[in-house]
Amino acid sequence: MTRVNTVLGTISAAELGFVAIHEHIGYGMPGCELDSKWWKSPEQRYEETVPKLRKFHEYAKPYGAATFVDATGICNGRDVDYYKSLSAKTGVHIVASTGFVGGDTALPFFERASVDYLARQFIHEVSVGIGDSGAKAGIIKVGVSRGFRMKELDKRIYRAAARASKVTGAPIFTHLAVDCEPALTIFDEEGLPVKRVLFGHADDGVSQGKVNEKAILGKGGRIGFDTFGYDLELPDPPFWGRHRSERLKHFLGFLNHGLVGQVLASADANCSPLGWPGVKGHTVNYLFERLIPDLRDAGIDEATIEQIFVRNAAEFLTLQPISS
Amino acid sequence: MASVNTVLGPVDAGRLGVTLVRESLMYVLPGAQYAYDIRIDRADVFDLLAVKLTEFKAAGGGAIVDAAGMFEGRDLRLYEALARATGVHIVASTGQGPEAMLGGYFLTPQTNPPTPWPAERFADLFGREVIEGMVVPRFERRAAAGLIATAVTVDGMKPTDGSLVRGAARAGAATGVPVFISCGSDAVAELELAAGEGMRAERVAVGDLDRRDAADSGWPAQIARMGATVVIDHVGSADPRYLNDAERIALIVELINDGHVARILLSSSATGVSYGVPGNDVPYSKLLTSFVPMLRNAGVADACVQQMLVSNPAALLSVGGQSQ
Repeated sequence: MTRVNTVLGTISAAELGFVAIHEHIGYGMPGCELDSKWWKSPEQRYEETVPKLRKFHEYAKPYGAATFVDATGICNGRDVDYYKSLSAKTGVHIVASTGFVGGDTALPFFERASVDYLARQFIHEVSVGIGDSGAKAGIIKVGVSRGFRMKELDKRIYRAAARASKVTGAPIFTHLAVDCEPALTIFDEEGLPVKRVLFGHADDGVSQGKVNEKAILGKGGRIGFDTFGYDLELPDPPFWGRHRSERLKHFLGFLNHGLVGQVLASADANCSPLGWPGVKGHTVNYLFERLIPDLRDAGIDEATIEQIFVRNAAEFLTLQPISS
Repeated sequence: MASVNTVLGPVDAGRLGVTLVRESLMYVLPGAQYAYDIRIDRADVFDLLAVKLTEFKAAGGGAIVDAAGMFEGRDLRLYEALARATGVHIVASTGQGPEAMLGGYFLTPQTNPPTPWPAERFADLFGREVIEGMVVPRFERRAAAGLIATAVTVDGMKPTDGSLVRGAARAGAATGVPVFISCGSDAVAELELAAGEGMRAERVAVGDLDRRDAADSGWPAQIARMGATVVIDHVGSADPRYLNDAERIALIVELINDGHVARILLSSSATGVSYGVPGNDVPYSKLLTSFVPMLRNAGVADACVQQMLVSNPAALLSVGGQSQ
């Protein structure tokens, strides 16, 4: 029996199909909602978002279904009722997050909260629901604040997430894989197996040389190659961009060294960004339009592709409470 | 006669009546709106606030300024409905602060490095809330802001506090709307910082001056001598960090005796309803029903009371400051 929380209800992991493990319907830093330069009408939002999700759904048909994991944290413009309508109209399963992208995205109320309170917040959102939406979160988001070092608040959030993960069984996604040593210590202290943690953005341009892949892999953690498509070859790449061939080579190194079971891949694209311009032309569909063809060209077989995007993802997203 | 920006549009300053310039209607500590155990029932909030505003009016009150700024619970449509229902003029404010209250959009933006917002960007954000109207986030703009409110960290000015004060002052100078600064560790230097941006001192109100450290430092008289408005804004408070009412009256009498009656405003920093943090549950009417009789007993003339409660706030809140 496998269970995964989507915004339209809990489903069997067997129904997920092709999973884009780390994406965003729309992400914005807390407070960006006050700046009208980013506002878009609901018509424009749906217009920018629905075609991308419909295409994703079409592309994923050979895998049975399409699942879009939205890794937007509590204060970052997460809008679960909107996700519900998108999911219902496009057929894409959407998994929402509880947690925070990093301490610097947790607003004062949460910044002042104890580990215990934060854990209760996350547990409630996974097991009861988010606000009055009725939708349950399917993953727990944590992250490293800007500056590549974990701050005290980041650590408090990681510890609360570890406790909530044990109780609810929801997996943990980290924003950034840098400075992983304090994170690994916290997961150890809390008794959470590190296979329940995806160390995200290990493939981005600014993290290279700062990720202790050996430590993460040694503990059984998962490595996120989840910024595929933020290529320096783009006309206006973001600061975390990386040369396309370099990222691919990095990923192939893992696949060709027997580490396929410990990787997950995604594009981290915004369907319609909330508080930043986004990256024009970059969508979740990069996975089908560029990445999978690149993998095939590099000799990666279909079974491996299916393992990454279907089986690894399903196993990871399946709720696995740990009794203590 | 000059007009004042209320949530229902411009009102002749002479029509405001008794005005409390530093209050809060619905206070929400940023983030509390997402807390799993906090439910904001709008109908209950409306009823609670309507009762308090009606009591205030019955006691002789005319206008309330919600000086909590743009990010701590401000709900324009609720305030408009309350103003219509109770007949109390409601002035809402733009502005933010201190630094710790800001969202990550302003402090760690998605740029490399994540440089916090400078004064000119805050000036633009606040100024547009006067010129184009205050925001209902991601939705629309409503009436013009009647006050630009900011605050400096009590322990000492943080870098972004300085940008907030300077940005508020620039926006005030450009739009003619007054600036309110809840003082930090050096009220005089903070006023000078605002004045350095072309903001006339008489258009600046400095608050939290009945805090013990502020009174002990002699800031109220210094601020008055510099030509700015001294806001004695914790009337009725039992908070030990602030003067008690007897000490507050002694301070007011001293300021009046020194010839500063035109520079004094009175308020209570009450929170009509508060989420995420304990509120200051003083009725808005208490200033009129308890404190004004105490002032009279202390020998303060009726004309002085009227000036502090009616004509001084009318002059300050008049756009451009022409009224008196």
